[in-house]
Amino acid sequence: MSADPRLARSRQQQPTTVPPPPPPPPPAAEAHPDSTKMAVDGTNDAQPQEGLVKDGFKLRFCTVCASNNNRSMESHLRLATASLPVISFGTGSLVRLPGPSITQPNVYSFNSTTYRAIHAELAHQNTALYTANGLLPMLARNLSIKSYPERFQDWVPGKPRLDHAADKGAPGTEAGVVDVVITCEERCFDAVLDHLLTKGGRLNRPVHVFNVDIRDNHEEALVGGRAILDLAVRLNECAARERERLGGEGWEAGGGRAREGFDERVPEILGEWQERWPGLPALWTLAWF
Amino acid sequence: MNSATSVASETLSQLESARALALSDAAYYNQIVPGVLPIIGAGANASLELRRWGADFLAETFASPTLGSEDKQRLSLQVLETLRENLETVDDTGVIKSVVQAAASIYPLVFRHILSNPNDVQNWQIMAAIKSNILRRMDSASPGIRICCIKFVQRVVQVETPGLIADPRRPEQNEISLALVPRDHPLIPPQNLEAEASGLLDRLLSILQEDTSDALLVTATLNSLGTLIRSRPSISNKIISTVLNFNPLKLANSPMTPKIKVMVKSMERTTRALLMNIIKKSPENPLNPRIHQYLERMHRMRLDVFDESNRKRPAPSEPTDGLDPAKRQRLGAEALSEPPSAIPPLPPGPVSFSQLFTLTRDEGAKNFDVQAIPSDLVVKILVPMLIRIDKGQMDNAINAVRARYLSLSKSQPRSAAEAAAIATGKAPLDEEDEYEPDYQPTEDTEQIINKLDNAPPEGLLPERVPDAPLAPFKLPQAPPLTEEQIEDYGGGTVRRVFGMMSTLDDSASRPKVPKPGFNRLAASSYDRDAWVTVISRLATRASTGLEAQPNIVKSEYKTVSRKGNFSISNTIREALFNYIMADWKRRIDVASSWLSEEWYNDRIQLEAMRAPAEDANGDGGNLPAPTLHYKKWILKLLDAILPYMDGKDKVMIRFLSEIPEVDRDVLDRVKKMARDPERVNLAIAVIHYLVLFRPPVREICLDALEDLWKNYDGAKTGSAKILTKWRPEVLQQEAMNGAHEDVKS
Repeated sequence: MSADPRLARSRQQQPTTVPPPPPPPPPAAEAHPDSTKMAVDGTNDAQPQEGLVKDGFKLRFCTVCASNNNRSMESHLRLATASLPVISFGTGSLVRLPGPSITQPNVYSFNSTTYRAIHAELAHQNTALYTANGLLPMLARNLSIKSYPERFQDWVPGKPRLDHAADKGAPGTEAGVVDVVITCEERCFDAVLDHLLTKGGRLNRPVHVFNVDIRDNHEEALVGGRAILDLAVRLNECAARERERLGGEGWEAGGGRAREGFDERVPEILGEWQERWPGLPALWTLAWF
Repeated sequence: MNSATSVASETLSQLESARALALSDAAYYNQIVPGVLPIIGAGANASLELRRWGADFLAETFASPTLGSEDKQRLSLQVLETLRENLETVDDTGVIKSVVQAAASIYPLVFRHILSNPNDVQNWQIMAAIKSNILRRMDSASPGIRICCIKFVQRVVQVETPGLIADPRRPEQNEISLALVPRDHPLIPPQNLEAEASGLLDRLLSILQEDTSDALLVTATLNSLGTLIRSRPSISNKIISTVLNFNPLKLANSPMTPKIKVMVKSMERTTRALLMNIIKKSPENPLNPRIHQYLERMHRMRLDVFDESNRKRPAPSEPTDGLDPAKRQRLGAEALSEPPSAIPPLPPGPVSFSQLFTLTRDEGAKNFDVQAIPSDLVVKILVPMLIRIDKGQMDNAINAVRARYLSLSKSQPRSAAEAAAIATGKAPLDEEDEYEPDYQPTEDTEQIINKLDNAPPEGLLPERVPDAPLAPFKLPQAPPLTEEQIEDYGGGTVRRVFGMMSTLDDSASRPKVPKPGFNRLAASSYDRDAWVTVISRLATRASTGLEAQPNIVKSEYKTVSRKGNFSISNTIREALFNYIMADWKRRIDVASSWLSEEWYNDRIQLEAMRAPAEDANGDGGNLPAPTLHYKKWILKLLDAILPYMDGKDKVMIRFLSEIPEVDRDVLDRVKKMARDPERVNLAIAVIHYLVLFRPPVREICLDALEDLWKNYDGAKTGSAKILTKWRPEVLQQEAMNGAHEDVKS
């Protein structure tokens, strides 16, 4: 059951007008430009495509980097384009973007400064410079995904996110919880773990936290986004398969790997993924919201 | 079938819109939850899809931070039956996971309800049934469900352990915990709950203690422990100790498949995150030093494990043979008791040195403090005692201590995990003991600390040394100095040397020691004179020849002021000059010895120049002439000193007699003094002295005197006296001229 990718993409952008969550997630795109999913070594041929588009059960994702601008947003876009529910955050104290020199970064506050405002300010400051170093194109991309950078530590998991319905990847994340958090740097991974430990897991809800170490530049973010999509698709595939098993039949009838549920297969999935992406050292833990 | 599916999907979409409503305003939960229960709940015979949705929805509802806890508490009673029914009848991972999550959220709510409604036996029984159902699953269910059970158990432990009471007057404001339960509560007697909590905590911690290899369970446990440690001080020490005895790297023994690698890293990282969080949140925790120690050790072990290049032994000091190390330890201790000669075995556990050497069973002898005997008495007693001692007995005793020592040193390198396994008394076999209410965690801590103190320092193992080859370290070349810097630093050096000298000046007032005479070495005594010699030679000889550049040959008097060409010698000369001028009367000897050096150096220079010039057949005219300094500096000194010269000062006489060379220019300076009527006599005295005692310059001195006599009115009488002796003809000629003039006029 495949669909025209262009159609799929246009359909995906529709949700902008509908604030209430659609009962089932929208019919998702089947295909997706191959280049985005092709691993560097070309091993993950066509498999993810099927997983990408499965309608029905979907894991909800959350991507996290330092400033919620480059790496987390690149992967946010990737996952959203693959019609996976996704939200994104930054763990820094402030949004820090490169400035005219290394000692003069442009600093903005989270949760209030919109990408549009940052874009306007930087364009005013020095259009040529910020176009050349990729900041303006990045911000232009970001403002088409959601309106402002959000801080992870200020996020209240479980608080409905109906006001973010216009964001890309929003369908499915209305309840304000996710199943998987993917950070893009060890620092962010530590910050996420620390924050979750401090919060104490009041929701009693398990969350798989991953770290995929991506260096903070545009090129690496592209590669990292592809890798994160690969990981997300694999995880989603596995979780959906567990969901498909009807009742206990699958559990009782299956043997070996088929008996394994999603959660316990995560280390294996990540291990396989790591073989495919040896340049992006990964971490994982099961934490609690 | 088809219609059934469509009905189901229609119901689902209706439920979804109801959920959306609740998400937009939490107040709707109060109506929606009771509304959906008949569809999803007990006795509804709902389809799996509906049950899944229902379980998810309930979990979401009771987790929602937007719904008030009063509302939640009321709703919780309504859903209890549904949860139980789902648990008991549905066999679907998704449903069970969500139901257990919901149960974890609900447990404290129901608990609080029971607190205020001690007679609601029915609801409490349903809750108890849910609890026991979940606990049953904890060991057998699929890992996805087990992690949710772990979280449930953590919640139960948190509720059933006393917490802090913020405000005793308003129980509804306080965190739900055992502390709120009255001692005589009929349904939930605190003693039972505390015992249950203790047992459940052990079960929770056993996940870390068992030889489990499932990173999922381990990280789920670790990540749920943080809140217990923080909010339940009575059990935090026990939890931290267990975590510290957990070795996240033990899986590293097995072959490193990608999956194992992920798991090892994951467990290590999660343990670290938890411990870091503890340190951060309670900086004055007494266990913090141990936590730091643990983190450091873990860091090194991780480097070991993941350093692919030299992974010989993956994880250190972990028993691979499956033997319980605690038992092995006891066996070792028993073996010690075998020596026949009535030597008592060492007590198990860590021993002190005195215990190690104590061989007697006599309590009185054991408690006797030898230090009470004065040492001279000990010496007197000891020697006869050693003579009389039975050799066999002595050898026996030595062997016994030696055997003890050997077995101790063998048994000590146990892993910290084992040490603590013993210390916490955590023998899994007798779980009943864990329920004892008089359990004292503080003792455990102490024991563990003792054990760890005896553990070998892991950092000393040779494998820990990093691989980096030790290359000879080469300092990078410093950037070249600018001229100003050179001048600055050079000047600074010179100033320091003179600073040294001025401190020596003070001691110069000490009683004079007899001068060693001519044969002395120039600078052997490190007093001021020695320094003067050193400095003046530095000035004159050190860089001699290096600065003689053709372009300065003709302007030798201007070298000092030449810009951009720093000369250390001239800087020293300037400094010497200033030093002398600062107190010239007392430092005139410095001046004369310096000038002697200058003169000597000038001579040497000239000779050195002349030698090659002669070789080149007198073609030396083209060679650069050396820069001569003596003349320049003597004149400069005189110009500086003379204005201050007092008419009765004899210093000048001495100075001019001591300097190595006097020429007309010098005498000109002296003559100038004669313009001053006060100092005429001094000028004449100086010259007279030179005439008397410096024959080489007698002629020019007399010339000068003659000039004085002729042209300086005030000097006439003084100079005439000397001239009558040395050049009477001048006087006569003058007299004749005078006479002649008289005649003429």
